[in-house]
Amino acid sequence: MSPEIIRLIAQATLDTLAMVAAAAGLGTLLGLPIGVFLATSRTGELLAAPRLNLGLGMLVNVTRSTPFIILVVAIIPFTRLIAGTSIGTGAAIVPLTVAATPFIARLVEGAIREVDHGLVEAARAMGATPLAIVRKVLIPEALPAIVLGLTLAIVSLLGFSAMVGAVGGGGLGDLGIRYGYQRFMPDVMLVVVAVLVILVQAVQTVGDRLARRLNKRLRTA
Amino acid sequence: MSALASTAPPAHLFSVTPDRAVSALSASPAPAISDRAPTRKIRTLVALEGVGKVFAGRRGQSPVAALEDIDLNVADGEILGVIGRSGAGKSTLIRLVNGLEQATSGRVLLDGVDVTAQPESAWRQARRGIGMIFQHFNLLSSRTVFDNVALPLEIAGASRGEVAPRVKELLALVDLSDKAGRYPAELSGGQKQRVGIARALATRPRLLLCDEATSALDPETTRSILALLARVNRELGVTILLITHEIPVIKEICHQVAVIEGGRIVEQGDVFEVLTRPAHPATRALVSSVVGVELPKSVADSLLPMPVPGGRTVLRISFTSENATAPVVSRISTVVGVDLNILAGRIDSIGERPFGVLVVAVPSHGPALAAVQASLRSLALETEQLGHVA
Repeated sequence: MSPEIIRLIAQATLDTLAMVAAAAGLGTLLGLPIGVFLATSRTGELLAAPRLNLGLGMLVNVTRSTPFIILVVAIIPFTRLIAGTSIGTGAAIVPLTVAATPFIARLVEGAIREVDHGLVEAARAMGATPLAIVRKVLIPEALPAIVLGLTLAIVSLLGFSAMVGAVGGGGLGDLGIRYGYQRFMPDVMLVVVAVLVILVQAVQTVGDRLARRLNKRLRTA
Repeated sequence: MSALASTAPPAHLFSVTPDRAVSALSASPAPAISDRAPTRKIRTLVALEGVGKVFAGRRGQSPVAALEDIDLNVADGEILGVIGRSGAGKSTLIRLVNGLEQATSGRVLLDGVDVTAQPESAWRQARRGIGMIFQHFNLLSSRTVFDNVALPLEIAGASRGEVAPRVKELLALVDLSDKAGRYPAELSGGQKQRVGIARALATRPRLLLCDEATSALDPETTRSILALLARVNRELGVTILLITHEIPVIKEICHQVAVIEGGRIVEQGDVFEVLTRPAHPATRALVSSVVGVELPKSVADSLLPMPVPGGRTVLRISFTSENATAPVVSRISTVVGVDLNILAGRIDSIGERPFGVLVVAVPSHGPALAAVQASLRSLALETEQLGHVA
């Protein structure tokens, strides 16, 4: 493999990492509050706002049911509005974030719903405000599950990022298609896949370890 | 006064009196409640007046009345136990007192203030003066013992400097100082409930609500938790309202008891009175297993409503505090000259007061029965004629 190709692979790896990290970060920033709200805003719950809950839930479902490659193309005007352009690695972060946010929101929602309702009751009995319950009880108690969910989201984002080549997003997936497939360079394809496998392994391992360390429930006396 | 007093709830509800704030958890033994009684007017801390609670039915189902026309007063400084079977409405009742549930009729008063319809923000303030412990402890698994006890203080807005000494004090009180850095998953059930008690007392509440606090514990652990609660009541003067389905809990630490059945209070009063003279069938059913004496099955089955020739009459004799240890049987035997057949018997204690029950059989005919009854009356013993046997 020529040094040129190795340089390309290195660059593509960095691009992928940058896109996934940015989309995961922004997606968490947006998805976490949405997930918390979805989990606590049904009738009779902490932040009861059933109509808003229903509307937000539908929006999340619509976004999640749109195939990613279609989403990328469909929101090009929005991408241009946010990033100033619709082409390139930076611009690709926009559709990746749009896809990651509802995904993370649902994962967070599920994690929060798993928190024992007795803990919420205990906090209410202490005179905690809904916001304090979210901050001091729900999120800390759901954290191990949230970390596992984020791990899953990041792994999915690695897969999504392969498709943003369609709008000039760059990254490993794009490299694999253009060089490995279109230029008949199976060795490039192989290296791309190998790098992705290593990335997924690394992310999963770190996520699992972190979740285990945060989980104080399984300790034995 | 302790720096923490600034985090106490507003004066109109559960204010922290200076003497409590200082003496509450000091290392020296706090004065017993009786020492303070003369200076302290007994007042009603919690009053439920004709309270009802109806849960709206789910779609297509009719509403469910969980509580109806509940009248209940909890006097300052006492331990009141509400006992009933599961589904009787106990959990709903205790949650009305700290606003986790809202009454649909009647009034709820805390320290004389009507709180029935107060908004959630006012409830939040009020709850900081009311501690609560739970059957399943409800400790945060992500927090250490120390941080669990600190939680209500954080919620009340206490500063870090105030929290640490207070938490240490509380952990010493419940004898868990060595577990401060442990997580709940590393503790036994009894230890978890001790953490729950420390947490509930963190903001120096005047009232402690116990929601089946010992129902998930084994008998031995139950006794140690009850002893701790009795100490909290005695030494800190914390009023306790507890709900339970276990009569031993009532017998062990309560001063007053209310029996709840089908969403209504069917009997209430002094524990000794209610347990030794249960009036309502629901109370009798609860009491019989512990303080009452169940007749041996062979006797119960052969019990007849009318005397038979040559048969005997079955009497239940109740011994209360003064005469519980009197040698009644031998005295009757010698004085009246009648031999009593003892069918069943038990000596027990309710709170600190001994209480005994004896079931005896006396010949139905001739002068024996009347003589025995007269003798028992002269000893001021309560007797009840249960029936006759051949």
